[in-house]
Amino acid sequence: MIAIIAVSVVTIGTLGLGTWAVRFARTTSDLFVASRAITPWWNAAAVSGEYLSAASFLGIAGLAMKMGMDAIWLSVGFTAGYLTLLLFVAAPLRRFGSFTISDFVEARLGAPRMRLLAAAIVLGIAGFYLVPQLKGAGITLGEVIGAPYWVGVVVVGAIVAVNVSLGGMRGITYVQAVQFWIKTFAIALPACLLLIYLGGLPNRGALFGTDVPRAPAAGLVVKLDSPRTVTFQRATAFRINGVPHHAVAGEKVRLPKGRFALPPGGTVPLGQGDQRGPGVVWSRPVGHGGRDGPLFVYSLLIATVLGTMGLPHILVRFYTNPDGPAARRTTVRVLGLLGIFYLFPTVYGLLGRALAPGLYVTGETDSVVLRLPHLAWPGVPGNLLSALTAAGAFAAFLSTASGLLVSIAGTLSYDVWGRLRGTSTPGDAHSRRRRFRLGAVLGIILPMLLALAAGNLDIGVLVGWAFALAASTFCPTFLLGIWWEGLTARGAASGMIAGAAVASGGIFAGLIAGDTVGGALGALLAQPAMVSVPIAFLTMVLVSLLDPSPRVDPEPVMLALHAPEGLGLDQLQEPSPPADASREPAPA
Amino acid sequence: MSPSRPPGGRRTPRDELAEATAHGGLYLRRLVRAQLALSLLGLIAFAGILGSLPLLLFLAPALRRVELIGLPLPVFLVAFPLFPLFVGLGWLYQRRADALDEAFRDLVGR
Repeated sequence: MIAIIAVSVVTIGTLGLGTWAVRFARTTSDLFVASRAITPWWNAAAVSGEYLSAASFLGIAGLAMKMGMDAIWLSVGFTAGYLTLLLFVAAPLRRFGSFTISDFVEARLGAPRMRLLAAAIVLGIAGFYLVPQLKGAGITLGEVIGAPYWVGVVVVGAIVAVNVSLGGMRGITYVQAVQFWIKTFAIALPACLLLIYLGGLPNRGALFGTDVPRAPAAGLVVKLDSPRTVTFQRATAFRINGVPHHAVAGEKVRLPKGRFALPPGGTVPLGQGDQRGPGVVWSRPVGHGGRDGPLFVYSLLIATVLGTMGLPHILVRFYTNPDGPAARRTTVRVLGLLGIFYLFPTVYGLLGRALAPGLYVTGETDSVVLRLPHLAWPGVPGNLLSALTAAGAFAAFLSTASGLLVSIAGTLSYDVWGRLRGTSTPGDAHSRRRRFRLGAVLGIILPMLLALAAGNLDIGVLVGWAFALAASTFCPTFLLGIWWEGLTARGAASGMIAGAAVASGGIFAGLIAGDTVGGALGALLAQPAMVSVPIAFLTMVLVSLLDPSPRVDPEPVMLALHAPEGLGLDQLQEPSPPADASREPAPA
Repeated sequence: MSPSRPPGGRRTPRDELAEATAHGGLYLRRLVRAQLALSLLGLIAFAGILGSLPLLLFLAPALRRVELIGLPLPVFLVAFPLFPLFVGLGWLYQRRADALDEAFRDLVGR
């Protein structure tokens, strides 16, 4: 009940505040001019607020619990991505005034025809990223009101689509900044209080020692809504709907729907894909091979460190920085703010294995952040803290999903529609707004269907693919486009196609092959960035070098990208407001 | 482009830059190269530290016998110290990059 109230307050609060703030900003002054006064701290909180998604809030802890401590590399990579963004992209892009890849490609390479290609990749990345947000919504609503998974997906998908269509919660730096602090508070406070209440980490044998997760002293009872195949690590007695059974060590059992009960101290059975080892193995940040070995860790780091700059909903936020140095300052602050948030998913992963082993039986490790507080701390305090994490999770996927859907709708209504109709004229404001709304509705449907089908894929894994795709396409385009005069349109297009093909090919092959492929190949299919990123870079460089077509004079472009402000060159540097500002319809 | 041009028709570096003359291009290329060198230096420091950690943990599993604030050292190393390190590196880079911009502004003359 408390949880329902908390979630409703967050939802109505953000939507209401967003709508109100849009109205307010519109009536006082131009949204984008007003934003020039925003300080780097507010900007940084806003970037972080839009960035922290269901993957960060729920996914990392769930994946850590399920696969082991190698999942916390996700926390590291998600943060480190902003360091590469700072080093190579933040200031030049702010000076250049392009905040979507389509605009950048058109302005830098003089290739308007590449818009369609860039648009297709934006849709792919945003789609991959939107699916796990909706999955998070499904399980969170299931926790809060006990609704079936699909209800949460559909309800939250609809809320986000309506919200984006109406223009709420967008371009509003302050709303996103507040969202960041809500999320950080909602993940940090329960973690700290739980650690104090428990006096440190319990069940250390199962976490770091030679033990495996076991039923607590009161026994473990789990309700299974559907049959599920599990493996018993050690010989265990258990009951199904009151009937006693026994499994020998290593036995695979198909548990029927119903009530599954373990006696006190009984070994908890694990599902497919769970880390099978004892605590020593589970808590290794780098395993010995296959899907938690060094190859996988490096590939994951490459994807996240290089992929962040290619996320469509993040770059747009950099427009509110007044100049290049401010963009740098904002990014440094983002590193600090994210560093605070990402300390906490680890805590939930550890406590989850120690205190919520029932999630292994049901396969719901992705809900550990929501479930842990009231499992670890029975009574009112635990329920209050669970309500808090549920509210934070809602804030997480509402803000990220809205940002992603704005990118999708903008791309569909502006790039794709304009290209297919053969016109690049945006049309009048009214028809633009109508097309944007149509884009928002169309853009949520496919991710919603995928989320319904992907109920058993981990949130953290899905987001890892979005990063792989971004790192293999947009990252090389930005890096080479900004720092190398020799990049040509043909080179960039070939590289993006090659990177996208290899990355998505690897992902789909990995999906089909499942756990049957082990070793190095299994690691690279699970996270193909280590192969696809170098291929994309190489293709871009080679094709550009061999490209016989006449070059665009790079000098004015380099001037716009790199010349510091305050030289009186502004007439050259900023010919027009960023196209993505004009492409968004005036908020209604 | 000419309001600040000194009397007597002498061209300042800024005019050369604005009119994309050979000299202006040279100044700019020098700045881009300096900024790129700085960014690459930052990348080497960052990738060196972040990149060596998985290898270290892979090659020295015995580190796990050391405990810090109740966590085995490998878990601690991944979970905590990298975040302040990123901020520190970013802050150093930001100061140096701003200084390069400033030097360019002084060179071109305001």
